[in-house]
Amino acid sequence: MNFPTTGSPRSAGPLVPLRLRKPLLVLLVLGGLVVVSARLCKVDLAEFVPGLAKGVEVLRFFFPPDWSSLQEMVGPALVTVLLAAVATPLGVLLSFFFGLAGARNLSPGWLRSTARTLIGVERALPEIIVLLLLVAALGVGPFPGVLALAIGSVGMLGKLFADAIEELDAKVLESVGSVGATHSQIIRFAVLPEVMPALLSHSIFRFEVNLRASVLLGAVGAGGIGFELQKAMALLEYERAMMAVLVTLLLVFGAERISDYLRRRVLDGGKLA
Amino acid sequence: MLNVEQLTKKLPDGRALLNGISFRVARGEFVGVLGASGAGKSLTLRCILGLTQADAGTATLQANDGQTFELTTCKGRCQREARRRMGVIFQGFNLVKRLRVIDNVMIGRLAQIHPLRSWLYGFTDAEAAEALEALRRVKMEKYADRITGSLSGGEMQRVAIARAVFQKPSLYLADEPIASLDPSNSLAIMKLLQPLAKETPVLGVFHQPEMTARFCTRVIAIKHGKVVYDGDPVLSHAQLEDIYGDELMQVLRPTPALPPEPEASSSAFVGQVDEATPGLLAKQAT
Repeated sequence: MNFPTTGSPRSAGPLVPLRLRKPLLVLLVLGGLVVVSARLCKVDLAEFVPGLAKGVEVLRFFFPPDWSSLQEMVGPALVTVLLAAVATPLGVLLSFFFGLAGARNLSPGWLRSTARTLIGVERALPEIIVLLLLVAALGVGPFPGVLALAIGSVGMLGKLFADAIEELDAKVLESVGSVGATHSQIIRFAVLPEVMPALLSHSIFRFEVNLRASVLLGAVGAGGIGFELQKAMALLEYERAMMAVLVTLLLVFGAERISDYLRRRVLDGGKLA
Repeated sequence: MLNVEQLTKKLPDGRALLNGISFRVARGEFVGVLGASGAGKSLTLRCILGLTQADAGTATLQANDGQTFELTTCKGRCQREARRRMGVIFQGFNLVKRLRVIDNVMIGRLAQIHPLRSWLYGFTDAEAAEALEALRRVKMEKYADRITGSLSGGEMQRVAIARAVFQKPSLYLADEPIASLDPSNSLAIMKLLQPLAKETPVLGVFHQPEMTARFCTRVIAIKHGKVVYDGDPVLSHAQLEDIYGDELMQVLRPTPALPPEPEASSSAFVGQVDEATPGLLAKQAT
């Protein structure tokens, strides 16, 4: 860090004080980048302003929501929740095995790096790409949706589980091993109880993520509320689409509240563990 | 019972940590192992357990059921069978903190049940009753349903002893069992170990010559990876000086809770407690 040297107090000093030069330069470079990017992406404010008015007008098509379609939305909403509810435990189970394999203190180096690499690759793939691959293989329907969400959970949960296991006290694992327990018994009686709170808390959060993803996947063929929304949009039934949006909001918001509550209980009390 | 012959462990650079350790532990004995920090006391125990691989020498366990185990060479299933016959008590207790006390005790019998059963339903009521009996022996039966992490250090060490008792071993190994405890808890733990030794021999590493003199039937001293003394538990000041050298004053101070390390300045002390009593810290953190 250079101290600013502005000369003696009587001298006029430079046009821009020295200590401001660096931030100014950064600002100029950033500003230049924004302008160049906007040009490249054809951002046109002149077109945006009248477009805004049109957008508001289109938005008016969505109101009032078609309350009469609420009854028809309940079924698809349930499908969306079920999709996440089936996919999450499946994903948790899958992730648990990946977590065990990816933990330094339980697995040999080659297994750990293989598992960690697979987890990393999965994390890099958005759910929608996994689904498109599975749809190509299994056809359209809820089943590839469930699989896509389950596999999609491994990228996040597998890593979190592996990290949680690696943080365990090595002495405790050694101590359970010292009575002559097998590898699987050490997992059952030392690893599992010790990581259970982390495992539950991450899994509950993942259910929330999966519910949101399940809406999106519905729109590309997995069924559920996402499919209803997409259908209504395609048929230009905007009021009906608005209803689907409202139901989605309700689902996601509700899931968030419930998951927050459950996670707090798991982490505070440890009673569920 | 236990016969250790010429146990040797070297660092990669060839420096010997254990330089031909030999001793025996027979039925009815309570053998205390003394020695300065880094002399190789705990390492000897780890080699016997197979937690550290010895480079040379043998350790032979003659179990109560007549079986014999070559501890330094047996691996896999053989090693598990051997470990099942040794009840171990650690300095840091090393219990599974989120399990109930009684579950921690029952972990002692894991090697005696099928791995599949441990996943399906675990232990039977009869085994639980027996585990409770083991807890009664260390006066902890009232704590059976408590979460282990909520106990104090002294209480956890009692549970660790109950686990070892429930294991029904042919030999108890205690690796500095009282080094992390205050004087009164240390005394209580020694008083628990003494009667156990009458049934099943105890081999324990200790840092307090006054404790081994009072409770052990025999003392072994290790210095620079060699056995330099093996005999009567009461040692003279000159003998202790020979064993401990510069550390002597640290050892003779009657404060078992203090770490025996020579560099035990106040900051090192904090680090030591941090490592040695995780349960205590976890309790403060909550």
